[in-house]
Amino acid sequence: MNSLLVDEEEEETLVPPVKEPSVNSDDPQERIQARRLRIAARLEARRREALGESLDRKKESEEDQSKSFKQKEESRLSLSKLLLCGTELVTNIQIAGDMRETHRRLDEDEAKRQRVEKLENEIKTSQEKFYDITAKWEDSKMKRIPQDLWGLLNEQQHQCAMLIEEKNKLISDLQQELKGKDDQYVKDLKKQGDDITLLLERMEEQVKNLINTFRQELNHIEKAFEQERQELLISNKKKWEREMNVHNSKELEYLMSHMKRVEDYEKQLNQQRVRDSEEYNSIKIKLELDVQILEQQLQQMKATYQLNQEKLEYNFQVLKKRDEENTIIKSQQKRKINRLHDVLNNLRMKLAKQIKQYHEDNITLTADYKRIIMQFRDLQKTMRHFAIINDKQFQEVWIINEEEAKALMDKALDVDKIIQLQQLGLPWTRPDYWFMKNVGPISHFKKKSATELVHELLLMSEEEEDESQKSSLKDQKSRLFLPKHLSAKTVRLILEIMCDESGFLIESKLLSLLYPLERNESCLLKLDSVFAALGIENEDDVYTLVQFFLDFRARRATSLQSQEALTPVSDAEGIGSIRRESCVPGDCQDQRHLLCSELIHPNDVLKALKAFVISQQKLREAPMPLKVVTQRELRDVSQDSEYWDALCFIIPLPRQKLWDALIDALQKYHNILTQRAKLLSDNEFLEQQNTELQMLLQQYIDSRINIELQVPPTQVFQGPMK
Amino acid sequence: MAIPPPSKISVSNPASNTRRMRRIIAEDPEWSLTIVPRLSELCLQHIVSNFEKNPVLTQLNPIQQRRVLDRLSTDLPLKVVANLVTDESYWRRRCNQRWAVGHVEKYGNSWKRMFFERHLQDLLKYFIPGTTDPRVILELVPLCQDYVVRLSVDQFLPPVKLEQQIQEMEQSDSASETEVEEFSMDHYQLGQLVAGLRRLEELDLVFGVKDCGMNFEWNLFLFTTRDCLSLASTIKACHTLKVFKLTRSKVDDEKARVLIRSLMDHPALLELDLSHNNIGDRGVRAAAKLINHSHLQILKLANNKIRALGAQALAHALSYNTTLLSLNLRLNCIEDEGGQALAHALQSNSTLTNLHLGGNELSEPTATVFSQVLSVNTALTCINLSCNHIGLDGGKQLLEGMSDNKTLMEFDLRMSEIGQESEYLISVALNANREAARLRTLQPTCCHITVNHINNAAD
Repeated sequence: MNSLLVDEEEEETLVPPVKEPSVNSDDPQERIQARRLRIAARLEARRREALGESLDRKKESEEDQSKSFKQKEESRLSLSKLLLCGTELVTNIQIAGDMRETHRRLDEDEAKRQRVEKLENEIKTSQEKFYDITAKWEDSKMKRIPQDLWGLLNEQQHQCAMLIEEKNKLISDLQQELKGKDDQYVKDLKKQGDDITLLLERMEEQVKNLINTFRQELNHIEKAFEQERQELLISNKKKWEREMNVHNSKELEYLMSHMKRVEDYEKQLNQQRVRDSEEYNSIKIKLELDVQILEQQLQQMKATYQLNQEKLEYNFQVLKKRDEENTIIKSQQKRKINRLHDVLNNLRMKLAKQIKQYHEDNITLTADYKRIIMQFRDLQKTMRHFAIINDKQFQEVWIINEEEAKALMDKALDVDKIIQLQQLGLPWTRPDYWFMKNVGPISHFKKKSATELVHELLLMSEEEEDESQKSSLKDQKSRLFLPKHLSAKTVRLILEIMCDESGFLIESKLLSLLYPLERNESCLLKLDSVFAALGIENEDDVYTLVQFFLDFRARRATSLQSQEALTPVSDAEGIGSIRRESCVPGDCQDQRHLLCSELIHPNDVLKALKAFVISQQKLREAPMPLKVVTQRELRDVSQDSEYWDALCFIIPLPRQKLWDALIDALQKYHNILTQRAKLLSDNEFLEQQNTELQMLLQQYIDSRINIELQVPPTQVFQGPMK
Repeated sequence: MAIPPPSKISVSNPASNTRRMRRIIAEDPEWSLTIVPRLSELCLQHIVSNFEKNPVLTQLNPIQQRRVLDRLSTDLPLKVVANLVTDESYWRRRCNQRWAVGHVEKYGNSWKRMFFERHLQDLLKYFIPGTTDPRVILELVPLCQDYVVRLSVDQFLPPVKLEQQIQEMEQSDSASETEVEEFSMDHYQLGQLVAGLRRLEELDLVFGVKDCGMNFEWNLFLFTTRDCLSLASTIKACHTLKVFKLTRSKVDDEKARVLIRSLMDHPALLELDLSHNNIGDRGVRAAAKLINHSHLQILKLANNKIRALGAQALAHALSYNTTLLSLNLRLNCIEDEGGQALAHALQSNSTLTNLHLGGNELSEPTATVFSQVLSVNTALTCINLSCNHIGLDGGKQLLEGMSDNKTLMEFDLRMSEIGQESEYLISVALNANREAARLRTLQPTCCHITVNHINNAAD
């Protein structure tokens, strides 16, 4: 039970009851002390705060550890030691109690064990005795003799008494033990009381001790701090004084200099004052003068003011009048404005109406326009139809006329032939003119498609190869009409180069198909597709392409050779001159072209092509839509008259002259012939007369009268006749 | 010029002593020169005097509240003030008036809590089942439910009939033990009260009678089975309970098992104190099971009847426990077998910091194992092996173990026969450890600077 109390008391040690002086006490001394303590505590707290801040700094400067720090460390150590020892001393009692308890327990265990053993032994022995007694009871039944029985009974009684006595003894022993335990309990209680008092004493002592030592250590620490502070104060004071002295001397110096400066400034001030007063006087006089002048001016101004006032009054009157007028005018204007507004509104209405009307008109007009457009289209259609019919008619008329003309011509020619052959007796050849073969109205030659041209070109070249130089005549005959400045060869060469260089424009499938074909054919097909790609459709395009190539080349060449530059000019001049005549390229030109074509670098072809396509596109963009109509109308009539004129002149002039001469001669011959004919006819007449006369004679002869007549006439005749 | 004394002071002390008056003027912040008290002052006085019938407090402004509270009577019924007055100074006055001694620090620095807890404790302490009206306590529950955190009752009186019976028995001297058993010895059932207190965290109970002196009777200290069952259900239902103490109540194995079973998997329990009871090995086995089925941090089984078997069970539980911080097995009889088992368990345990094995009949073999523990374990800070028979050789082995240890701060080896030399050297080592720990807590970064100091201190 001791330990229970110790536990309780242990807790109490944590809060030692200390009686502190109170401010509410009746004793003035105590009150004073209490207040002092309060102040000290506050100071302490403040200082602690300051120290807490400087604690780290102190720890850093290990070398010059301050006394206070050392003191603190020492006090802490000693205090902790004291605390440890004190608690040990206090808890020693608890430990001792525990120790006693453990010993007691051991003893108790031992005693308990002995007691149990003793009891068991006792039970055993008593049991044995009891058995003996019970056994003897059995014996007693056997006894018949009363004396024996009595002795036995006595013995039994004695033994029972003995047994009971033993038990009683045991009980008394145990009771004694219990009493002893009771005593011990009381003793323990007392002992515990003693322990607790001891504990209390020790604790109190410990607390007092601790308080004292804490106070002491606090004092020590405080002293150390005080000392340190004092030292610090002294050193600081010294420093302060030193600084003060320096400062004082400096101050003095400053003071002296200041004084000097003050004197200087005072002198300057005096001077300034004198000067200022003089200035002041002069300015005063001047200002007074000014004042007088200004007063005069004021008077004048007043006079002018009077004047002005009158003027202004007059003006005011005038203005008032004007204002009235203005109001009248304003009202008039307002009325006018109203009127105008009405007009405006009317006009607006009208405008709206007009707009509506125009809108309607517009709609009707657009409808009309549409209708007219339709009509126009119809008209155009009819016109086209008529044009075609006209063309046809024209052609028919032409053909009729031409047939007539041709018949005439043939007649003329036949005449010529007859004249030539019969009259002149010369051989006659039929003259061959271009118009002779012409059938139908003259028109531009149908433009050949580019491929045809190429085909012809290629054919021509083949022929050239075959027949070489002789072909010049054939060239003439061929239907190929190239512009003069372009030789067939040049064109061919350029096209071949193009064909070789612009393979990329051809579809790959086509290429594979072309492979097995002949060179010319493949070339032709290739070019066909190339032209399709480039948008080249007809002969002219090909020529422009070739021309473009030449120009391009020439432009490139001009930079190199100045001579070459002249040739394209001459070419250009020759462009328009002769178109319809077959072109016989001059040798020199041809050679030059050849040279040029040889000079083309295949690499330039692509650039040239590109430039060509661009220029071609530009050209084509504009004049496309009117083409159809213009072509038809542009049929030039000049050549018609030429043609017809040419038809007229189928018999050349010298031959006509010949004919004239022939006519003359023939006339003469005719005359002769007519004379002759006349003579002949005369002759015939005469013969006829003759015959008639003969006949008459005959008749007369043969007549019966003659017979009757002695001499017949016939005889007369015979005679002359013979 | 005589200054008329203010009305308040005139009540308390006469103005005869001018010196005293002057002093009181200096110390009294409420003193004023006004002759006639103000109307507001009078009103406040009226409020104070009629506070019981018409408690007006919350409507006042803070200064007025302060005045009213300063003057409120400490005899007002709790029903009026309990939930109305929260001011500490009022409760402080009330506490000081009622009890001479009191440590408010123990009550979380709350005078109100202190008042209610002690009030309730007093009521419970002198509650006689069957005689006292239980409503007295239950009526208090709604008033104090928000303030009572700890219930510490060091006395439960048995029913009064029994006492009469005992007296009769003593007088007649003819009663037998069997007759006594017939009467119900049950104490006050805490169930309803504890269920009402929603902030309760600590329950400290002693089923016994204090100050019985020479009237001692075993019957006064009887913790009956019914008491035990009701207490078990009570603590099981109280989920806020953190500390449960049942000491000096003759709790035997069966009752301990019942109680501990009810504490299994308790959500909040941190401390269990069953010191000074009759618990044997079976009860300890239950406790050993408990420490791994709850968040228990402190287990006190001092002064019980624990033998080696119980200690071994505890040691087994301890070897894989991670919550227990403190274990107290003072004044048991675990002997070397149990001590060695515990020491082996400590080699693998790294949470236990406090171990008390004082008065356990330990001797040298245990010391041998403990020296190994000292060199391995870094969690232990406090070991108590006092009142054992460790002996000189054991002391030397412990000293060897101490030389490798840097964390132990307290090692009590008094009365354990280890010899003064070992004791001194161990204390020196402990000192060094303490200094190191102090520096660690003070300045964890500057440990290296003050190594010299530690050495100096150690020398």
